[in-house]
This record gives sequence, C-alpha cells and structure tokens, in this order.
Amino acid sequence: MSGPKAAGDGTLVQRRYVHGLLLRLCVNTAGGVGILFIILYFALSRPLHGDYAGVFHALRNLSPFLRPILAVSVLLYALLACGSTSALCIFILHKVAGPLYRMELVLDQYRSGAPTRTVSFRSGDQIQPLAHAFNRWIGSLRRDRHRWLATMMDAERHCLQDEATCRAEMEGALRKIAGDMAKYR
Amino acid sequence: MKTRILQSRQPRIRYANPRFQGPAVLAFAAIIATGGVIFWKLVDSQFQRVFLHTAIRGHYTFDSAYDIVRDLLSWHLAGLFFAVFLAGSVLVFFLVAATRDGIGKAVDSLRTSADGDLSTPTGTGSIGEFDRFGKKIDDTRSDTLTTVQMIRSEAAELAAGGMSPEEFRLRWDELKQRIRTIAP
Repeated sequence: MSGPKAAGDGTLVQRRYVHGLLLRLCVNTAGGVGILFIILYFALSRPLHGDYAGVFHALRNLSPFLRPILAVSVLLYALLACGSTSALCIFILHKVAGPLYRMELVLDQYRSGAPTRTVSFRSGDQIQPLAHAFNRWIGSLRRDRHRWLATMMDAERHCLQDEATCRAEMEGALRKIAGDMAKYR
Repeated sequence: MKTRILQSRQPRIRYANPRFQGPAVLAFAAIIATGGVIFWKLVDSQFQRVFLHTAIRGHYTFDSAYDIVRDLLSWHLAGLFFAVFLAGSVLVFFLVAATRDGIGKAVDSLRTSADGDLSTPTGTGSIGEFDRFGKKIDDTRSDTLTTVQMIRSEAAELAAGGMSPEEFRLRWDELKQRIRTIAP
C-alpha cells in the first residue's frame, strides 16, 4: 500500500500545482527581499555632506543607529513576508484541505446511515483519486447489495408454489448470500 | 445564460483547515523569521565593521553610506532570497510528499476495500491530519465490516433452519431491511 500505486486515476498532486506553488513562493520571497532592500536603501542613502571631519563623524555616528534600523527593517520584512506566505498557504493549500474536509463530511454522512451521493471535487482540486476510490468502493458495495436483494426476491417468487419449496429456496438464497459475504474480511 | 450568471456570482468556497494549513503556515513563518534573524546578525556585524574601517581609512569617495555597503548588501539580500526560497521549496516538496504518501495510502485502502478487504489498517502515517483522516476511513470500513458480518451470521443462522415458518418469515424481512442499510 504505497503512494505511487494510487496514481491509477490520475496523480494525487499535479505537477502544475506544485510548480504554481513554487512560483508564488518565489515571487513572495522576492517581494519580501525587495521591500527589505527599499527600506535599507532609503535608510542608508542619505547624502554624507561636509568636510573630512563631518563625514568621519557621520560614519562613526551611523553605527549606533544601524542596529535599530536593521531590526525594524528585518521585522517589517518578516511581518510582510509571513503575512503574504500565510495567505499563500491558505489560498493554495485549500485545494488539498478542501477535498479532505469534504471527504470527512461524506464519511460522517455515510457512517450516520444517510444516503451517500457520488463524491466529486471541484475542478482544480487536488487528490481527485480519493473521490474515485471512494466512489468505486461504495459502487461495489451497492452492486453487492442489489445482488443480495435480488437473490432474496428471486427466492420469494417461489413462495407462489408450496411452502416447502419456498422455504428451501429461501434457505438456499441465504446460504448463497452468506457465502458471497465471506469475501468481506 | 441565467444559470451562467448565477454560477459566476456564486462565491468560491475556500476551505481553511487549521490542522492542515496551520502547521504549514507556522513552518513557512519559522523559515522567514530564521532567515531574517541570520540576515540581521550578519549584516549588523559586517556593516559596523565596514563603516568603522571606512571612517578610519579616509579617502571618502562616496556620497552616502549606501555606496559603501552596496555590494555587501546586495550579496546578503541575494543570500537571504536564495536561503528562504530554497528552504521554502524543501518545505513545499515535503508537504507534497506527505500528501502523496498519506492520501495515497488512503486511496489504496479504499481500493482494497472495493475488493472486500475492510480490516487491513490504512496506515496513513504519523502526520496529524492524514493520521486522523486514515483513522476515519478505518472506522468507516470497520462499521461496514461489522454490518456485513452481522448480516452474514444472521443469514447463516436462518439458512440452518430449525425455526417456525412465522419466525423465519419475520427474520427474513428484518434481514432484507438490514441489507438495504448497506451503502444507502
């Protein structure tokens, strides 16, 4: 039971989706670094005027201010980059989280005994083979159920004849159903 | 036409699952924060040294402090970009691999269920959300197996005979009703 085996009904996570996620991550990171550059550029690009002593003192006095400038710019970068990456995670990963949530609802519905409809995910959603596998399982259960009920109804038809034949047919049908159900383990 | 207009007006539902997206957001935030702290520490110590060295050296051929640290800053920003992007990419590939592995096992489990195997555990791994999902699938399969086995034992009991026609008929009808509850 390994992941790659599940690729029968299409891939679980499409390559295009992964590339899109990486591209957006790249743009996000570049944007964050760009903002950090702009902040530091404006902080450091003030002209150093004056004579030799003036420039010397300006450079010496720059050091105490450098640490808070860097701290604030890095903090701003971190906040902006974290915010945009969080939004990216929520809006991109919902294509996996959404189908998972939907499948959980369907499983709960199935367990509660309510009628279960065929599961289909939205276009663009990932993990599509999960819906196909679930539908296939429910489909096979329904086919078996129909066959068992048809066997029982077929046996009931013999009740138009005498009682003994009816009972024998019913017992035969039950043995057949019990044998059929043995495949479930 | 009307249907198309209605469809276009429907808001797109974006599921937010804190158990799945939350850890991913935290991991990305940790990468960005770590990158930022390393950048701050490196740039701070090197800028302090460079400004001091430049002030002492003399020959001021620059207009601003930016001119002194331009190359150094560019290299550090490029380093920050590549480090954060590479670490983020590794995280993306880890998330994709975890999804492929966890959901792949769930899919395989559902496929074997279609062949009648309802007892082999899904084994979706130890990653929180996928582990929980795998257990949910196992619970559903287990419920189905219990129902099927109950019906099977009842059918076998009825087929063995040894009961009055009235009781047989009553239990036959009950069994039919119970079979109807499988995959409703």
